[in-house]
Amino acid sequence: MNLRLIVLLSVFMAVPQWANASYLDLQSGSLMGMVHASYGDSFFDNHHFSGGMGYVPKLDNHAEMTLFSLRYRYQNPYRFNFNVGGHDLQLSPVNFGTSLLYGKHSDLFLELPDQYPKGYYKPTALRIIFNYQSILHISDKTEVYFDISVLDVGLITYVREPEFFMDNYDYLGLEGITNWGFGLRRHF
Amino acid sequence: MKKLIFLFFVITLAGCEYELSPWETDAHCPGVSVEENLARLAAFEEANSKPDSFKVAIIGDPQQYPGAFEDTIKHINTLGDEVHFILLVGDLAETGIKAEFEWMCKAMSKSNIPIIPVIGNHDSISFGKDIWLDTFGEFDFYFTYFNTRFVAYNDNQYEFGEAPDREWLRESAEAVAEDGQPVEHIIGVSHVPPWDDNLGFDAHMSDSGYELTIHGHESSFDYWEREDVGLPHYITTQNRDPGFGMLTVYAGADMPLQVDNCSRDCLITTSRVIGIPSPQ
Repeated sequence: MNLRLIVLLSVFMAVPQWANASYLDLQSGSLMGMVHASYGDSFFDNHHFSGGMGYVPKLDNHAEMTLFSLRYRYQNPYRFNFNVGGHDLQLSPVNFGTSLLYGKHSDLFLELPDQYPKGYYKPTALRIIFNYQSILHISDKTEVYFDISVLDVGLITYVREPEFFMDNYDYLGLEGITNWGFGLRRHF
Repeated sequence: MKKLIFLFFVITLAGCEYELSPWETDAHCPGVSVEENLARLAAFEEANSKPDSFKVAIIGDPQQYPGAFEDTIKHINTLGDEVHFILLVGDLAETGIKAEFEWMCKAMSKSNIPIIPVIGNHDSISFGKDIWLDTFGEFDFYFTYFNTRFVAYNDNQYEFGEAPDREWLRESAEAVAEDGQPVEHIIGVSHVPPWDDNLGFDAHMSDSGYELTIHGHESSFDYWEREDVGLPHYITTQNRDPGFGMLTVYAGADMPLQVDNCSRDCLITTSRVIGIPSPQ
């Protein structure tokens, strides 16, 4: 566990030394692991692509697991300025993205195990996550963000049966399908 | 503006969960365990005299449609006191993740009567087995209700390998209940109907005293038995069909069982009466 954490942090710290990185991202929660480090670049100003690796240690409610991701984020250029304690800050309130998440664990599979007939299950190790971010720009290069995510099956089920969620959960039923996390992003 | 931002974050935090990954195992499902529901059933049995008959609703495969599942449960609530409990014959989840179980638990909480679940194959993938053990309890169990023995067993062969446990099934079909009363009917309940490659299973079940087995998995109503054994298997449809099955148990060892295919509105039913078992 400690070795994996060191490797993860090393990747995060070392990338600027050799890569022409646009940004590095460190996130916790929102279905991406206890810690998830990503390296990404920007395209056409507002489009961001990244690849990352995350980790969850063994917990009472979670097996030890390494996660891998490919992520896309659209960052709306609109920002509004405000001042807190003499510091000028900017908030980007509306940004959306999607991630392809792979969980590496013996109980999950990408390729159907031999005992199953062809097509019996879809891969259980691969999930799609949709997310919203609210980004607080602390400086030109550093930002922190609040992330809200919805898992593939959550979005599908909500679209199919919105009344169920609206009747049983708060905030238009979104309470039943959303998760939160937070992160730090550093541009280079 | 600061207050607005603060309010936004407070509302958002209150409405979401901090989840490390899709594969967490601590489903928030109060009151749905087999143990709790059997305790409710036992309390009802204790407080009431034995009826001439009672009904059991059979719901199968509600996966990914918690709203339809909730509708069915609410409908069963309106059917009156004749329906004593619900058998939920597996596949609550589609991909075996915590969120799917939690939605189903939310729907289950709307039931006025106990719901007794058995594990399905889709419930067993990803970390579904861990979630099931933590949320509902053991994969194999039995109970006796007004002299009828219900034996719920795991027969998800692909996911568990050695399932079902034939020896346990035989031992669970004891002719005398825990309270010393005779068992009048013995009914097996599992998700998957008997597998074709499980040779001799029907004969084993029949020889052990089972009169009927109840299942889901096939996503449509079905009823069949092997000619050489004669043990009937009733399969209910997937819940979103919409539909559910209804078992009627008549008091007395010499009285039959009855199963009905029931649309959600129960306007059209196809009834089958399972004959009195031959002496072994």
